[in-house]
Amino acid sequence: MPSAENTSMMSSEVGQSVANRNVGRKVELPWLQRYINVAGPLVMIFGLSLVMLIFEPRFFEITNLMIILQDASIFMVLGMAMTLVVTGKGIDLSIGAVAALSALIMAMLIKDAGLNVYLAMIVALLVGTACGVVNGLVITKLRVPDLMATLAMDVIYRGLGLVLAAGTVLARFPEPLPTLGRGHVFGFFPVPAIVGLSALIIGYILYHHTRLGRYAIAIGANREAAQQTGINVDKQKIYLYALMGLCAAIAGILLTGRLNAIQSTAAVGFTLHTIAAVVVGGTVLFGGRGTMFGTLVGVLLLAMVTNSLVILRFQFFWQLVAAGVIIIASISFYTYLQRRNNPDARFDE
Amino acid sequence: MTMKTPVLQMKGVTKSFGGLRALIDVDLELYPDEILAIVGDNGAGKSTLIKVLTGIYQADSGTTELNGQPANIKSRQDSLEVGIATVYQDLGLVDTLSAAPNIFLGDEPKKKILGLPFIDNEKMRRDAEEILHTKVGVALPNPDEPIRDYSGGQRQAVAIARAVRANDIHVLVMDEPTAALGPEETKNTLELIKTVRGRGTPIILISHNLDHVFSVADRVQVMRGGMRAGVVEAAKSNKQEVLGLIVGSELQEAS
Repeated sequence: MPSAENTSMMSSEVGQSVANRNVGRKVELPWLQRYINVAGPLVMIFGLSLVMLIFEPRFFEITNLMIILQDASIFMVLGMAMTLVVTGKGIDLSIGAVAALSALIMAMLIKDAGLNVYLAMIVALLVGTACGVVNGLVITKLRVPDLMATLAMDVIYRGLGLVLAAGTVLARFPEPLPTLGRGHVFGFFPVPAIVGLSALIIGYILYHHTRLGRYAIAIGANREAAQQTGINVDKQKIYLYALMGLCAAIAGILLTGRLNAIQSTAAVGFTLHTIAAVVVGGTVLFGGRGTMFGTLVGVLLLAMVTNSLVILRFQFFWQLVAAGVIIIASISFYTYLQRRNNPDARFDE
Repeated sequence: MTMKTPVLQMKGVTKSFGGLRALIDVDLELYPDEILAIVGDNGAGKSTLIKVLTGIYQADSGTTELNGQPANIKSRQDSLEVGIATVYQDLGLVDTLSAAPNIFLGDEPKKKILGLPFIDNEKMRRDAEEILHTKVGVALPNPDEPIRDYSGGQRQAVAIARAVRANDIHVLVMDEPTAALGPEETKNTLELIKTVRGRGTPIILISHNLDHVFSVADRVQVMRGGMRAGVVEAAKSNKQEVLGLIVGSELQEAS
C-alpha cells in the first residue's frame, strides 16, 4: 500500500514541477513547436512569393514551378543523406567530387567500354558507396576529424576524376539517363523530382523508424552515452557516410541525365549548396537534431531563390550572394528563437 | 534484517594501484528491499569499491556473490549480465530523444517489414510507460517530448528506468544522484529512489550528503582509508556517529 501512495505522490510531484516550468511561457502548439525550426525558411518562401507576385507573376506558371522542382530534386537526394550525417555530428565535404567521379566512371563505361547502361548505373552506385565507406574509415579508423577528412577526400576524388577523364566532356547518353535527369510524367511532373521526393520519404523513415537514424541522433547528441549503451559508434558512422556516398552517386546520375553530359569538374557547388539547404531547414550543425521536412523546405527555398534571380534577369552569380545571405538569416533566426525559448534567458527580457 | 540472505555479498575485497592500497579487505552486504548508502571522504575507497563491483576495476583478491552464487565480473558488460545496473551522475541520456527511445537505446524492440528491421516505436513506447509505472513509479506528463525539456527528477526517472529495464536486475547502483540538483529536484529524486526500492530493486547509493543519506538509506556503510570503518542502521544512528566514523576515531571520542 505505501508503494502505491508513493506512486501517485511521485508522479504528481514530478508532473507539478513541469507545470511550474511552463508558467509564464507562451502557449505554443506542440506540432508548431516541433517544426518551429522550419518557420524561418517558410516565412522566407512566403516573402519571396509576395515579391515575385508583384514583380514577375510568370514565376507562378506551372512550367516554372516544375523547373524549380527539377532544380531542387538533386539536392533532395543529397540533403536526405546529409541530414543524417549532420545529425550524427558529421559533415561530408566530398559529395560534389563523389557525384562527379561516380557519374564519370558510369559515363566512360557506357561511352568507351560499351557497357549496358543499367549495369553502368549500378557500378556508379557502388563507386559512390565505396567512396563513402572510405570516408567513414578515414574518420573512424584513422581518427581524422570529419571536416578535414572529407575535405582531403574531396581533393582526392576530384583528382581521380581528372586523372581518369582529364578535361574531356562525355555527352549523349542512352535511355533511361535523359529521362531520369529531365523527363516528365503526365506531361508536366519532373522524373528527377520523383526520385528526390522518394529519397526524402525514405530518409524520414530511416530517421524515425530505424536504428540508423536513432543512433545518428544518439551519437550526435551524446557520443559517450551512445557508446555506453553498447552502440558501435564507428560502425554507425561508416553506415552514415556510405549512405551519403550512395546518394552522391544518385545525384551524379541525375546530373548526367539532366545535362546529358558529364565532365570531371562537374558538381563543384553541390557540397555547400546541400549543407546550406540542410542547415537552413533547421538541422543543427552541432549534431543530435534534424528534420527531413526541414531539409525539403531548405532545398525548395534555395531553388526558388536561384530561379527568381534568373527570371528577374539578375546576373547568374548573384545567386551565390543570395544563398549566403539566406544561410546567415536562417541561423541568426534560430539563435534568436533558442534565446527566446531558453527559460534561463527569459528573465533578461 | 540480518536474518535474510544478502542479494549481494562482497568479501575481503583488496585492490592496490602500484603502492597505493585503495581497498583493504573490504566486505559489503546488500539485503533485499534495502537502500545501502556508502559514504566516506574523497579517497576513502567508495568509488573504487563500486568500480570493482561494476567490473571497471579488477580486485586483487576477494569475492563477489549474487544471491549466493559466485559472480565473476571482469568487465562492465559482465556486471550488466549478472544483473548489476548503474546510474552515473551524468545520467548518460540523449537530450534530443524522448523518454522511450532513451530507455531502450541500444536495445530497441524490432519488427520486420518486408524483411527489413524497423524499430517498433509503438511497442517501445508502451513498454517504456509500463517500466516507468511498475519499476520506477512515475507517470511522465510529457512522454513524447525530448528529455532536454524534462525536469531533473524526470530525467533521473528516465535514467533509472533504463538501468532497471531488464527483468533480472538484482542491484541498482546510484553514483551521487543528487550532486548536481537543486533542493526541489533533490527531494523528488530521493522520493524516486525510495519508490524504486519499494518496487523490489535493492539500491546501493553513493553520496557525499549525509542529510540525503539519512532521508532514504536503511543502512549506511562508512569507508575510511580503503577500509570498512563501520556499518550502521540509519534508524538507530545519527549524523554525528556517521561523521565520526568518516573522519576517524579522534573526533568520535571527542563527541
